[in-house]
Amino acid sequence: MAEEVIKLGGKKKSMFIDKVKEIIPDGGNLNLCLTCGACSSGCPATGLDGMDPRKFLRMAALGMDDEIMKSDWPWMCTMCQRCIYVCPMKIDIPQLVFNARGLRPREQRPKGILASCDMQLRNESTSAMGISPDDFVFVVQDVLEEVRESQPEFADMQAPIDKEGAEFFLNQNSREPVTEPNELLPLWKILHLAGVDWTYGSHGWAGENYCMFLSDNDSWEKITRTTVGQANKLGCKIFLNTE
Amino acid sequence: MISPKLVEVGRHLNINIITNSEIKSVEGEPGNFSVTLVNHPRYIDPVKCTGCGECARHCPVTAVNRYNKGLDDRRATFIEYPQAVPLAFGIDTDTCIGCGLCENMCVAKAIRYDDVERESVLTVGSIILASGSQGYDPSKLDFLGYGKYPNVVTSEEFERILSASGPYRGHLCRPLDREEPRKIAWLQCIGSRDTNKCGNGYCSSVCCMYAVKEAMIAKEHAHCDLDCAIFNMDIRTFGKDYEKYYLRAKDKDGVRFIKSRVHTITEIPETGDLIVRFANESGQMQEETFNMVVLSVGLQIPETSKELAQKLGIKLDKYNFAVTDPFAPVQTSKAGVYTCGVFQGPKDIPSSVTEASAAACIAGADLSEARGTDTKVIQIPDQQDVAAQEPRIGVFVCNCGINIGGIVNVPEVTAYAAKLPHVVYADQNLFTCSQDTQDKIKEKIIEHKLNRVVVASCSPKTHEQMFMETLEACGLNRYLFEMANIRNQNSWIHSKSPALATQKAKDLVRMAVARSATLKQLNEKVISVNKQALVIGGGVAGMNAALGLGNQGFHVVLLEKESILGGFSRYLHHTIEGGDIQAYLKQLIAEVTAHDHIEVLTGARVVDFKGYKGNFTTDVQIGAQKENRTIPHGIIIVATGAREYSPKEYAYNQDPRVVTQVQLGDILEEKGARDMSAVVMIQCVGSRNAENENCSRICCQNAIKNALIIKKQNPDTNVFVLYRDIRTYGLMEDYYTEARNLGVIFIRFEADNPPQVVPSPEGMRVMVKDHILQQNLEIEADLVALSAGVTAEDTSDLCGIMKFNRNPEGFFIEAHVKLRPVDMPGEGIFLCGTAHGPKLITESIAQAQAAASRATTFLSKSEIKLSAITAHVDTEHCVKCLTCVRSCPFNVPVFNTEKQIIEIDEAICHGCGICAGVCPRQTIQLNYYEDDQILCKIDALLAGGM
Repeated sequence: MAEEVIKLGGKKKSMFIDKVKEIIPDGGNLNLCLTCGACSSGCPATGLDGMDPRKFLRMAALGMDDEIMKSDWPWMCTMCQRCIYVCPMKIDIPQLVFNARGLRPREQRPKGILASCDMQLRNESTSAMGISPDDFVFVVQDVLEEVRESQPEFADMQAPIDKEGAEFFLNQNSREPVTEPNELLPLWKILHLAGVDWTYGSHGWAGENYCMFLSDNDSWEKITRTTVGQANKLGCKIFLNTE
Repeated sequence: MISPKLVEVGRHLNINIITNSEIKSVEGEPGNFSVTLVNHPRYIDPVKCTGCGECARHCPVTAVNRYNKGLDDRRATFIEYPQAVPLAFGIDTDTCIGCGLCENMCVAKAIRYDDVERESVLTVGSIILASGSQGYDPSKLDFLGYGKYPNVVTSEEFERILSASGPYRGHLCRPLDREEPRKIAWLQCIGSRDTNKCGNGYCSSVCCMYAVKEAMIAKEHAHCDLDCAIFNMDIRTFGKDYEKYYLRAKDKDGVRFIKSRVHTITEIPETGDLIVRFANESGQMQEETFNMVVLSVGLQIPETSKELAQKLGIKLDKYNFAVTDPFAPVQTSKAGVYTCGVFQGPKDIPSSVTEASAAACIAGADLSEARGTDTKVIQIPDQQDVAAQEPRIGVFVCNCGINIGGIVNVPEVTAYAAKLPHVVYADQNLFTCSQDTQDKIKEKIIEHKLNRVVVASCSPKTHEQMFMETLEACGLNRYLFEMANIRNQNSWIHSKSPALATQKAKDLVRMAVARSATLKQLNEKVISVNKQALVIGGGVAGMNAALGLGNQGFHVVLLEKESILGGFSRYLHHTIEGGDIQAYLKQLIAEVTAHDHIEVLTGARVVDFKGYKGNFTTDVQIGAQKENRTIPHGIIIVATGAREYSPKEYAYNQDPRVVTQVQLGDILEEKGARDMSAVVMIQCVGSRNAENENCSRICCQNAIKNALIIKKQNPDTNVFVLYRDIRTYGLMEDYYTEARNLGVIFIRFEADNPPQVVPSPEGMRVMVKDHILQQNLEIEADLVALSAGVTAEDTSDLCGIMKFNRNPEGFFIEAHVKLRPVDMPGEGIFLCGTAHGPKLITESIAQAQAAASRATTFLSKSEIKLSAITAHVDTEHCVKCLTCVRSCPFNVPVFNTEKQIIEIDEAICHGCGICAGVCPRQTIQLNYYEDDQILCKIDALLAGGM
């Protein structure tokens, strides 16, 4: 941050922080900061980019909207919520950070997250890895067959896809089917041993949602609708979000 | 400190202590309440129990000691703490195994296994609720590790750790390994100022000060150079002279104050040490390892008080404090029911003690018609003159159960005493203090014509008065009594050497007998009390003090130097709660001026003063004509007030856009905030600086009060408050929260880098460094409001005449900061309002009522007995060196220039004996402690051969 003088005063202007307050419950208590530093003391991103949650909130409170928009720090926040957990005023800093991400034009947001979000929008799996429904079905069946053969105690285990009327609809981070297919197994085994009636969907099965992290609300909603739509179409009662 | 108070209350003829009891229901109306109590069984008869403790010493059951916060054990048969009143044990039936051992051991036959819960009914005229608070339980704050890491303790636990009667006998140890810590952290605001985890949005008022105190005491107890760090948001040392204590801790004793709230505590399992990570003010992560962490827990109203309030039908606020009005601070929502202490709101000891007296005042006013109808008075028979008689000494040696008798050979000591010179009777008692022994002593005094009595038992501190009363009851002068402490100073400390303890008991008895033979009859001067009161100062405090006395039926003369009543309150508009000060003042003035018992003298000035408690005379000049008037009065209440400091700082008086908070209040009252676009407020102007080290207590709330008015009238006005610590103590924290919520920006500055104010044609430019961003801010404002501190009224003339003591800041000094906050050092003189120190109107009212209550303790008597223990001068041998005049802390000895002698007025002498000690010619003697009466004890001791 430049060591320049911050000019304040005059009548109250329209500020970013006030817009965020309008859209979150109780205004996120965003005005209530005691500047105690509990958030910064516990934040994994404190010190990155010379910034911490308290400073970030302070900039918002002083109406330094340009600096907030330019800052890369909101993208370093992991949304872990350690700040709000201990904050004596329960200030919703994560929501402020989330909305600050949205201040930047979409195309200027971090490339990795942006590309992943775009990829999710491009395929019916909603997979950031770009894996198609057919490929997913193939991998699941392949892994299932192998385990049934090599581990007789799981000879009758199922990994259903698009099973109508199943009780649970399970989603799945698309990293596993692509890079570590065997890591799909532990959860299947647990569900099998517990006698759970579950299914994957062939569409909208991917559990990740990079558009949320991108603060692209429309795309986030679209992806969520795709995956929830598949669960509803199959008549599942419970959506099990594994992400 | 609290011990003498406990004893006084315990021995008071007209205070009936009912312990182990709760209110079941209350019926009736003010002046006539019927209170049904549930009396829980104690299983030990408190009348018979002598507090000797044999039962507890033999009890085989171990129970958690709640008094020491669970850090050590007690027995199932127990007393909460050694100074408890009544000094009677009880049985904790949750842990008692019913073995019967205590019943067998109790010589006083006080054990009652068949004790049952009972109900009793009291008829009273007023009720005062003083149910206090409990410390917040931090167990549910999982990030602090309390309950998981042994070396994380609460401040209440740490208080016990530091105490000589605590779990480690006052040795500074940590719970895990009883090692002495080298580094301790205090975390402030645990269970206070937190609406997220505990819902206690208020400030507990006391934690900053007690944390500083704990750190200072811990440093004293430590054998190493203890490192103390207090993590805080604001340090709230707002009480009288508290700031000086904070500065001493910070600058002289090296206590570190860190402006940060710690996120999480983690333990190093191998050592039990605790890692504390925190962001410093510039946002850099720091990590420190402490041997111990103390959580400064806040004050909270217990569930039982909530239930009590329900039974009585009184209103509680959202935090369960009793609802009171800013102008009636001790009146609950129900007539005839009053409150004081933390149940009314978080507060410290001086404020609680003040409020307690205030509640007594208002409750007393309700009962004034019935005063004296239900009280007990001791009837004392005429005194017989024994001055011409040879000494006939009776010696009563106490076994104190087996407290003394188990170590000291009491029969041997008794036989020894019987042979001492002038002793005509000697006997031993199981418990010399018991009621039946008093009757026996009286019998023996008459039977053996005793004219001196010696009791060899425990401490005169607790028991002397009682034995003296026994002497009086059979016509003997109370000063013909002497005690030998063969328990506290003998059997208890020499329990391993019974033979030597017996020898020492004989020595002590021999000394006491020798002294008793020299004792003289002393007559206590009885003086009448003038029932009229003089109140100096006609502001809110003075008027309330006058009303407090007037409503109890005493005649009051109220002096005001101005031509009208009201004092500084005339310049104020609203309290922070919204109370209309001018409307209140109008009603108060009307009530005072119309009162039958209050005479108001305006334009009055004190010109002369003399006298002593009960009998003062003050000359005043009244009005422009300087009409003279002599006022006789029994007591004085000083309420001379204070005013707003007139700043020299920040271009005040140079630019009309720089005003004080009081002036801003006027502007807001007259014009409102419509035209304001940005207002900057600067705190601590004329406070917390080199000229005035103290905090002015009221300025933070004053700024926030005005900021709230501005924001509510005109939300678009930007308001910036530049502060050092925000000190909205107690329930006022809610207004600080509200101000932030409405968008007021608070910016902290350091004392060595204050803001700069530069006038310019466009507006006032205020430069300050933001404490969070560490960047310079430049604020353009159309108004700068200075939170100017509180300055005492100039009372030099008054003090020259009346000889009252003031501190360097010009505020009057109370007799004892905590226990006697409204008494002045001279007896019969009381203090209230801002003359005592900065305070809010609400606090001034409570203090005024308290002063009236304290004054009532004098005025309700027709005469007072002065102690006979006073100093007197042998003027023939006195060389008039004036050493006594210089040494007396109460300015009692004076040189009478007419008679050319030193005079000591026994009516005002405190009997401390300093003058007798320092007199180089030994021409001053202190009654009852004459030189011979002390030296003969030493002679008697040496005569035994050492």
